[in-house]
Amino acid sequence: MIAKIVCYALQGLEGVPVEVETDVSRGIPAYEMVGLPDAAVKESRERVRSAIRNSGFSFPMGKITVNLAPADVKKEGAAFDLAVAVSLLKASEQLVGAAVQGIVFLGELALDGTVRPVTGLLPVLISAKANGYTRFVVPAGNAKEAAYLGGAQIYPVSTLAETVRFLLGAEAISPLAPETFVPRRHAEQSADLKYVKGQPVARRALEVAVAGGHNLLLMGPPGTGKTMLARCLPTVMPDLTFAEALEITKIHSVAGTLGEEGIVSERPFRTPHHTATTVAMCGGGTRAVHPGEISLAHGGVLFLDELPEYKRSALEALRQPLEDGKITVARAGGTIAFPARFMLCASMNPCPCGNYGSADKVCTCSPAEIRRYRRKISGPLLDRIDLQVEVDNVPYDALAADGEQEDSAAVRERVNVARAIQSVRFEGTSVRTNAEMGERELAQFCRLSAEGERILKDAFERMKLSARARARILKVARTIADLAACEEILPAHVYEAVSYRLGDSLE
Amino acid sequence: MNASYSERERLLLLLAACGELDESTRTALSRICAEGVSDADLEKICAAVIETDTNGVYKGNRAGLLRLADEVVARLERRNCFAVTLLSADYPAALAAIPDPPLVLFCAGRRELLGARKFCIVGSRLLPAWAAKAGKNIAQELGARFVIVTGIAEGGDRAAIDGALPAANLISVLPCGLDVDYPAAHAALKREIAGRGLVVTEYPFGTRAQKYSFHARNRILAGLSEGVLVLAAGEKSGTLITANAALSYGRDVFALPHNAGAAQGAGCNELIKQGAYLCTDAGDVLEAYGMPRTARREPALTPAEEKLLGALRQRGEAHAAVLAQLAGVPVWEAQATLAALELKGLIARSGGNQYAALK
Repeated sequence: MIAKIVCYALQGLEGVPVEVETDVSRGIPAYEMVGLPDAAVKESRERVRSAIRNSGFSFPMGKITVNLAPADVKKEGAAFDLAVAVSLLKASEQLVGAAVQGIVFLGELALDGTVRPVTGLLPVLISAKANGYTRFVVPAGNAKEAAYLGGAQIYPVSTLAETVRFLLGAEAISPLAPETFVPRRHAEQSADLKYVKGQPVARRALEVAVAGGHNLLLMGPPGTGKTMLARCLPTVMPDLTFAEALEITKIHSVAGTLGEEGIVSERPFRTPHHTATTVAMCGGGTRAVHPGEISLAHGGVLFLDELPEYKRSALEALRQPLEDGKITVARAGGTIAFPARFMLCASMNPCPCGNYGSADKVCTCSPAEIRRYRRKISGPLLDRIDLQVEVDNVPYDALAADGEQEDSAAVRERVNVARAIQSVRFEGTSVRTNAEMGERELAQFCRLSAEGERILKDAFERMKLSARARARILKVARTIADLAACEEILPAHVYEAVSYRLGDSLE
Repeated sequence: MNASYSERERLLLLLAACGELDESTRTALSRICAEGVSDADLEKICAAVIETDTNGVYKGNRAGLLRLADEVVARLERRNCFAVTLLSADYPAALAAIPDPPLVLFCAGRRELLGARKFCIVGSRLLPAWAAKAGKNIAQELGARFVIVTGIAEGGDRAAIDGALPAANLISVLPCGLDVDYPAAHAALKREIAGRGLVVTEYPFGTRAQKYSFHARNRILAGLSEGVLVLAAGEKSGTLITANAALSYGRDVFALPHNAGAAQGAGCNELIKQGAYLCTDAGDVLEAYGMPRTARREPALTPAEEKLLGALRQRGEAHAAVLAQLAGVPVWEAQATLAALELKGLIARSGGNQYAALK
């Protein structure tokens, strides 16, 4: 008899329907699995055999053929176990009267029949729901993640035996109640702008960067709080919307980095170490294509501490995603586009010894050493970093009497206002922030007065800026105007935007 | 083809191209050059040097020597270079007056610059940003009256080059052969100077820079110029060699004043203490030579810029946050105003969000 059970395979961030067809016929006992399964899928035979036996069912004797259709889609991972087991039971007539029609089965089996959680469940559920499936049997361990789907009947199961009893109607499992999304902030996290002493210039740059989604470079001597400032970035970013959270969760689910919570409810803050390879940064893998750090930072911050220490190839690979907001990874296993719309924050010392430009310490580097150090970051990459600021190495209270330091929540409020202006401006387009503006939006929303044009032209010539840098200055000026709730970009806004680029003339 | 070099000049050229002469030979040569040298003497010295150089035996073969000299000239011309010898009419008189002038200057670029009035601007390789900016401004302004003489290193030399090169009134003196790129990063810059100004060295092709050649080069810097301005110098900076050489040649020495205690400016302050001219802008140099100060074209300032600039001038150097507080505006408004002032060339960033006023 032939049994057909629906399962889903993961291709990048999309689920592809796979039909598990099982045929048990008389003959010499054999087990054949066809349909481009990878090693983990092929090994399902042993897991399924033990799980069926240990759950009190009998593994059918005879010639067994399992076909995963369509045959040309590569299947990987262990999420097919449950579907294969159910289809085997069905084919061997141990599930008579069970309604399996229209149910999608997902789950890995343990030898004792327990159903184990799988990675990439949420993207699969979203795709399957879009394909019209509304009933799912999923591992209980994935229940939290699955509950965010909504609008579907999702049955969490913990064992194969439980699944069978449920299918036969002997046991009722209540479908998951849909979870409502609540953006979360780590209150216990110590990162908050109120703990940052002084740094008025860097604070402002941080605010502008977040308000417009611009990239940020913090330059300063060691131990001046560059990392501390960067860690405050997520605390001033606007809350995630549910749509954003789902998109980010999909990526993290595929990468298997989803935590207990089941959904990414706060903006990611990724800090890859400087030994990270290009593949670790951008995504890839030998057969399966996995998202890289830039995709895991999607919707959040990619923080590169000590920028010049990173491999040049890994840094240069960031250039295209920084422009496009996505990365297309081509591998033998397929070509996958991952979203990668992240905010880049980088930090670096001004020179190898770190004391260049310091008021109280002497820099021991030769000009050639400094140049070599800075040249590790290519012009094109530096061009894409809209705000380049120096971090003070003098305690602020030595400079001016300071009052209470503003906390992240206050800054976030202003950021939210500026973002609201942007979302009205870009309504109906795919653009979300000023930084994402294209040429068309630039011409439409960033018109300058004659004086503004003159300032920009002057700066352009004096600082030998590239056309890209010019466009980026305009975008930053737009954000600064938005923070001031100003319809028009004033000369002062252009000047301030220019002041964040003066690092260009450092060379 | 070699009409531009007389026979004696060619012999001198041959001597210089043969490599390093010991100092006694050089002084002897320059003395007899100054006193008027007979061909026979020159030939004898030349032969002596060539002999020791090639271990050959000199047989009174003047034609052979001249043939060798022709090769040197041809090599120069192939590379679009020329040589000015101590016997040439346009060998700078000021340089000829020093105790050990170079016998030959190998040059690439505009020959006429050698005859102009020259002023030297130097500074150590590491110098504060404001000093570099100030040096650039001074070089630019002095460039209208003088040809600026400097080296080709980073820092102070670079500031002088940046200021003077646009007007093409620039002589760079190298511590190595014309075809040697030192520093390597300035290879393109050297070509540009050779194209628009003049590159000068006493070393023949292929000579690499040695520690002592910087020392020797500095005497040419001082010797060529009527005066020397030191932008920045540490206590033991090589820049001071140039200043001391200038003093011993009876040239004027100018120095930019620095903060007491700033290591990068200790040498400058010491020079001032010893009686060097204190120089804060190009006008100070012009005045010393009896030239009128050039009228400054003051850029138009907004009231906010005026206020901030005033506050900064009062302090000399200050943090953006301090200036903001003094002016009673938020830091970012001060940032914008400071950027405007920087673009207008009135202030310079000195690192760590500090700004310095320029004169």
